[in-house]
Amino acid sequence: MFKKILIANRGEIALRILSACKELGVRTVAVYSEADRHALHVRFADEAVCIGPPRSADSYLNIPHVISAAEITDVDAIHPGYGFLSENANFAEVCEASHITFIGPSPDVIRMMGEKDRARAEMAAAGLPVIPGSAGVVPDEEAAKEVAAEVGLPLMIKAAEGGGGRGMRVVRTKKELIPAFQTARSEAEQAFGSSNVYMEKLIEHPRHIEFQVLGDRHGNVIHLGERECTLQRRHQKVLEESPSTVLDAATRERVGKQVIDALRKVGYSSAGTVEFLRDVTGELYFIEMNARIQVEHPVTEMVTQVDLVKSQIRLAAGEHLDDVVGPFQFHGHAIECRINAEDPETFRPSPGHITAFRVPGGPGVRVDTAAYSDAVIPPYYDSLVAKLVTYGRDRAEAIVRMEGALDGFVVEGIKTTIPLHKRILAEPDFEAGKFDTHFLDRLTGIAGK
Amino acid sequence: MAKKTKSGSGAGAHAEGVDLIEVKRLLAFMQENGLEEFEYERSGVHIRLKKASTVHAAPPVAAVPPVAAPAVAAPAHAPAAAPARDPAQPASPAADVHMIKSPIVGTYYSAPSPEAEPFVTVGTRVESGQVLCIIEAMKLMNEIESDVAGEVVQILVENGHPVEYGEPLFGIRTQGKK
Repeated sequence: MFKKILIANRGEIALRILSACKELGVRTVAVYSEADRHALHVRFADEAVCIGPPRSADSYLNIPHVISAAEITDVDAIHPGYGFLSENANFAEVCEASHITFIGPSPDVIRMMGEKDRARAEMAAAGLPVIPGSAGVVPDEEAAKEVAAEVGLPLMIKAAEGGGGRGMRVVRTKKELIPAFQTARSEAEQAFGSSNVYMEKLIEHPRHIEFQVLGDRHGNVIHLGERECTLQRRHQKVLEESPSTVLDAATRERVGKQVIDALRKVGYSSAGTVEFLRDVTGELYFIEMNARIQVEHPVTEMVTQVDLVKSQIRLAAGEHLDDVVGPFQFHGHAIECRINAEDPETFRPSPGHITAFRVPGGPGVRVDTAAYSDAVIPPYYDSLVAKLVTYGRDRAEAIVRMEGALDGFVVEGIKTTIPLHKRILAEPDFEAGKFDTHFLDRLTGIAGK
Repeated sequence: MAKKTKSGSGAGAHAEGVDLIEVKRLLAFMQENGLEEFEYERSGVHIRLKKASTVHAAPPVAAVPPVAAPAVAAPAHAPAAAPARDPAQPASPAADVHMIKSPIVGTYYSAPSPEAEPFVTVGTRVESGQVLCIIEAMKLMNEIESDVAGEVVQILVENGHPVEYGEPLFGIRTQGKK
């Protein structure tokens, strides 16, 4: 087991990693920017090193400063958390070169999963279903017709070099295909300097389903079930739950097995999440993989009783999956609400001084947060204030506990999205488990996608 | 004529028309009774005494915990516990002393090599751009230069010790404009 770990992160995840280290008897080093001098992760770690001014680029993303801090404190491993340097293959390589264990997958695997079309190609080759589409850029109208015949309608034409909705066209009928192809290409040329487009099947009313995995450094991989993360606003997850209300046991088992096989083939280790889109017929299509621990990991922890962060650390230290995880079962239902420092209606960020802070408790209620009474939420980082997670023997109990917990969560001095979560929980469609990725955008009045 | 006087606890204040002995008695009175603030007016004299607060509601600043000295050439094996410093306040400088703070994280060396003389000592006059020390980070020796001309009056770190971003290293007394 490691003697000392540096946590290359801040906020609630830094605290999460800190507690896992404490439970394992590992000493901890916190790094912090000048804006985080009074942060809890600094206070609770055994040692702390200031690594830069407030801006992330100058501090938490500053590889030389983070590595330097690791060297002067003589750590044997670094846990990168999520975001920041957690999926930076270069950083993982620098750690290795400095003889510091990076708690995560190997640099090669990180790199593979980070290049989205490469990940898609590798996972498809390894047997995972991917969204049917062109095998790359569609060069001309003839090719476009061929792809359309293969993939079927409706389909999407997307700019290869860009995003943000430009160079994108939906095609629902054969007649629309060529005109859409042509305008997509000229729009892409205008917006991104390249007329390259690719095509893929349009998944209507999609739901976002992701599988949690763990791998050791000896070639073994398991999955710990799925999370449903369909409730997103502008592609940012707002609420997550496990299990999904639409995944049956047979699909879970089938896709779970495909995930394990594919990840064994690429030599995946540590924690990770494989993300899928589910269409109305129930088909799951791989979209991408996040080669790190995720924000919503507590949801899986609640229904499996497996400590994912402790597992990451033990697996990175070379332990075998069987010893670290062993047999487990799925019990009950868990929901997580991400509480952000934002106006619940305009979503404008609301950093500032918290004047009152009271978290709910009781059976089946978990709060992961680095906020406290009198804390200042700085404007330089993400707006997550707290993760409120509830567990129930079934979904109805998890929901009713969440409603009570939201009512008992007091935050004053800044605005939070607690009222938004109350609205979501009150929606009949949410209660019925009927939603797709447009649900929240509709609820919050954002037109289109 | 009403005159206001303010005094930190224990510090003597000097003001016209105020009996200092009386002020001291008032301060003692405040101390005995645990008062933070005291105000009164008598015979045209208005006195307000307020204790300088040492504690405010914010949680205590985490003193920089001891950072283990790296195993450099240093013979001292016991981890040199760096004195718990309040990271928010460097040693309070005099008004014309310019603080040089570390721009990087690493290990501080006062000389270009273990056998050489230190770059500067207290009293050394330096020019703007002159090298004051080396901070080693990731096997690279970074020369830290002064950004002002003046006299080195404070050296706040020890050779071979780790330093963090923003850590005060030197106090340089500038003589007027650069």
